[in-house]
Amino acid sequence: MSAKNLKEVSTEYMLFEAKREEQFMTGSEAVREAIRRANVDMAIAYPITPQSESMHLIGDLYAEGYVKEYFRGENEFAVMSQVAGGAMAGVRMFTATCGPGTLRAFENFPMWAGARLPIVIGFMTRAINAPLSIQPDTIEMAMLMDTGMLMLHAENAQELYDMYLMSFSIAERTSVHIPVGIFVDGFFVTHTRQKVKVVTEDVKLKPYDPSMSPTPHIDMETPPFRYMKDPFVMKSNYVSYAAHASWQQECMASIERSRPFLKELLGSFIEQQNPDAPIQIIASGTAVSQSREAIKMAKEEGIEVGLIKVKTIRPFPAEEIRQALSKAEKIIVPEFNRVGWLAKEVASVIPNNDRMVQGPRVFGGMTMPPDVIVKVIKENALFGV
Amino acid sequence: MSSKTTSIRMSGLGGQGAVTASHIVGSAAVMDGKNAMVNPFFGAEKRLAPAESYVRISDEEIFDTGEILYPNIIMVFHPDVILHGKSYTMPFFSGLQKDGIIIVNSEFTFDFTEDEQKDLDDLNAKVYFVQATQLARDIGGTDLATNIAMLGALIGVTKIVTMTALEEALQERFGAKAKGFVASGTTAVLDDAITKQYAKAEKLIEANMKVLIAASESAESLLAA
Amino acid sequence: MSLAITKINPAFVDVMPQEYLDLASDGPFAADKSVKDLGTFKELIEEHPLCAGCNLALAFRTLISALPCPEDTVIVGSTGCNSLAFPQLAIHNVHALFGNQNAVASGLKRGLKLRFPDQNKDVVVMAGDGATADIGFDMTMHSWIRGENITTVMFDNEIYANTGGQESGMTPFGTVRNMAPTGKNFQKMNVPEFAKQAGCVYVAKVSTANTAKIGQCFRNAVLAAREIGPTYIQIYTPCPTNLKMKPAESVALAKKRAKEDYAFEEYMSEEVENLLVSSGAIKPKVKKEEGKK
Repeated sequence: MSAKNLKEVSTEYMLFEAKREEQFMTGSEAVREAIRRANVDMAIAYPITPQSESMHLIGDLYAEGYVKEYFRGENEFAVMSQVAGGAMAGVRMFTATCGPGTLRAFENFPMWAGARLPIVIGFMTRAINAPLSIQPDTIEMAMLMDTGMLMLHAENAQELYDMYLMSFSIAERTSVHIPVGIFVDGFFVTHTRQKVKVVTEDVKLKPYDPSMSPTPHIDMETPPFRYMKDPFVMKSNYVSYAAHASWQQECMASIERSRPFLKELLGSFIEQQNPDAPIQIIASGTAVSQSREAIKMAKEEGIEVGLIKVKTIRPFPAEEIRQALSKAEKIIVPEFNRVGWLAKEVASVIPNNDRMVQGPRVFGGMTMPPDVIVKVIKENALFGV
Repeated sequence: MSSKTTSIRMSGLGGQGAVTASHIVGSAAVMDGKNAMVNPFFGAEKRLAPAESYVRISDEEIFDTGEILYPNIIMVFHPDVILHGKSYTMPFFSGLQKDGIIIVNSEFTFDFTEDEQKDLDDLNAKVYFVQATQLARDIGGTDLATNIAMLGALIGVTKIVTMTALEEALQERFGAKAKGFVASGTTAVLDDAITKQYAKAEKLIEANMKVLIAASESAESLLAA
Repeated sequence: MSLAITKINPAFVDVMPQEYLDLASDGPFAADKSVKDLGTFKELIEEHPLCAGCNLALAFRTLISALPCPEDTVIVGSTGCNSLAFPQLAIHNVHALFGNQNAVASGLKRGLKLRFPDQNKDVVVMAGDGATADIGFDMTMHSWIRGENITTVMFDNEIYANTGGQESGMTPFGTVRNMAPTGKNFQKMNVPEFAKQAGCVYVAKVSTANTAKIGQCFRNAVLAAREIGPTYIQIYTPCPTNLKMKPAESVALAKKRAKEDYAFEEYMSEEVENLLVSSGAIKPKVKKEEGKK
């Protein structure tokens, strides 16, 4: 199949109607297969484990003609700035990073949101130094929580593939038009080979339409009179403060405005199984997969446990979670990080926080065997085994 | 983990092909109509440093991912894993489930320590020594086929995947129509190194199949003994 | 850009600000204005909140008036005193972050090439010495090493002026500044030389002592970046406030330094020279040997 003469299709068609075939692939390859069909104009790469394979494979797409422009930047701060430049020029951009790269690039993320740039970025989450670690850990998500980007957390390679394909159309809606971060647990998904249903190779998404941007691009194609992309009013007066405050509120509001589009394409913000069980597990990403296995094991021992999978971290599905947990007597939050950011988020939106069990948590690269979750389930089983 | 899943832990030295072997057997399981989940050990894998890879195979959907802590089968690609502690887990069989299987590639057999032997006996573990590197060298003409010989031994002992599916998986990985598979940046480089040794992809597959069958037969004879 | 978009809808003429009307009727778009025409047309930058006697402001005004194609130029600024002038500029511009100006410009230029393959869009970076040579130095250098088609301008006031007079990499050796209380103990960075080494095809060192020269060099740099590769202009722009001078004395300082250690220097590759000669931007150089004959 060649990159030429691909049929342009809507996101809805791509996700729900296009013909698919099942392949056995790593998460990094799933990223490549999604971007192959995403009609990306420019991608900028920088290596960091465990993201490197993903952006290296996007380079292969460039060589094949699926991506029009591609290069390796000099570090993540530079790359995120270059990506911003491309988005300001009005083309569809893609990049990915993780862990220390995320932190090195950090100053760019609030700027992206403030400049209303619809960039799609992948985070293949990884531990943050020190001590040095290249292992999976989702701590960077806690740090990115309030940078003004949408945050979607994929459980496996299939969801990763689908989330990439839907993310561009959400990021690029006129009423949203802010960055979207697609998060996936590094190694656990990126380097794991599993079955993924991918769309046939003859289609791609429709291109980005610069005329739909709520703010003009830096292209001198609109009346140029005193226009700055990221206006700041660096004066010490009330008008200046109000300008900054209202602009930031507008960015936050655009996250909320993404809800109907996300719901349409994701189906739901949370997924619930066994909703009447008194013990509920709430999790996102790989922790969901480990919980599924633990729930099977607990059931074999006669303990019913429910599961709430959280797909979007920003916007945070507060109301959905509140309702889903309304009858829960114990709430277990398994996480792959030290700080327990999901537990904090959940605690902030539900009544009676004493129902919550903080953990189990593993970090620094540890695997979370389902047995560990089962142990916590048993400790909290209300009516004995 | 669900009792219906078979978990294989492959321990070897970087560059021996444990990661590649795990991908091939995972692919073969999928071609047999089963589910598989394949992970490498999440390290900055360097040649001759300890390397591990994990395969889960099941008729049911598999969710569990990451390191396999409680394997049914352990494949040791180099005696140094056991004798020189080049292993991520000490002892190398920690977590092995009851009635587990251990396949060791070594040109010589050796005794385990008294404590180790007792633990293995308690687990009712079966240990098979195979000369995978020797077979790879003699039949495939290169040490680089050690991982394929180890897969042969696995099939000989367990029949966990069919020979037909394995051949198909080898085609997918090394055949003329292989799509530049990337398990990691480094494995891709090593793939290039081995494909360069053969003028044609078909020759490589053919050599690999010979190694596979010989190793499988050799392991079967161990089973009978 | 199509000049049609600058035309004002007749129905709105009576409600448009005079400022806007003047830009539409007497602005420099497609009018080929230069430094010597200053005072005869409506400028793209007029009001700004920079200090009285600010040489950066002088250089900024000069550069904007010398743009060869303002209607298809976009500018990337950075944090510093110059960022206070940018919001008043009638050319699309972006501030982004402190130090990332050459990285933003790299993405911007490549994006514009993709969107407008048959149309020229000049991308110019204008930033201070701190942004260019200190905090953003790696991105400045790498944009040159990659051969990006952008022009980089450094306003070199040899100080972090906006934050109150701290030492920068461009501060001369021995100078006492905030954060260098006993005098700077390493040399002023030789950025023009770095630029040549990193692949800039046109490099000029100028000062506000000669604004006509700034205009000329800048025009050369923009034309060369458009056609050939990265270009760099370094302008000495003394800061009267942080140097504790009277505003009126600052140009005199620039003139003094131009005679001492900030003399005009220009480098261009052969390819650039051919381009500029053939386009009539410069006269062919008479080689010394030929002159003797």
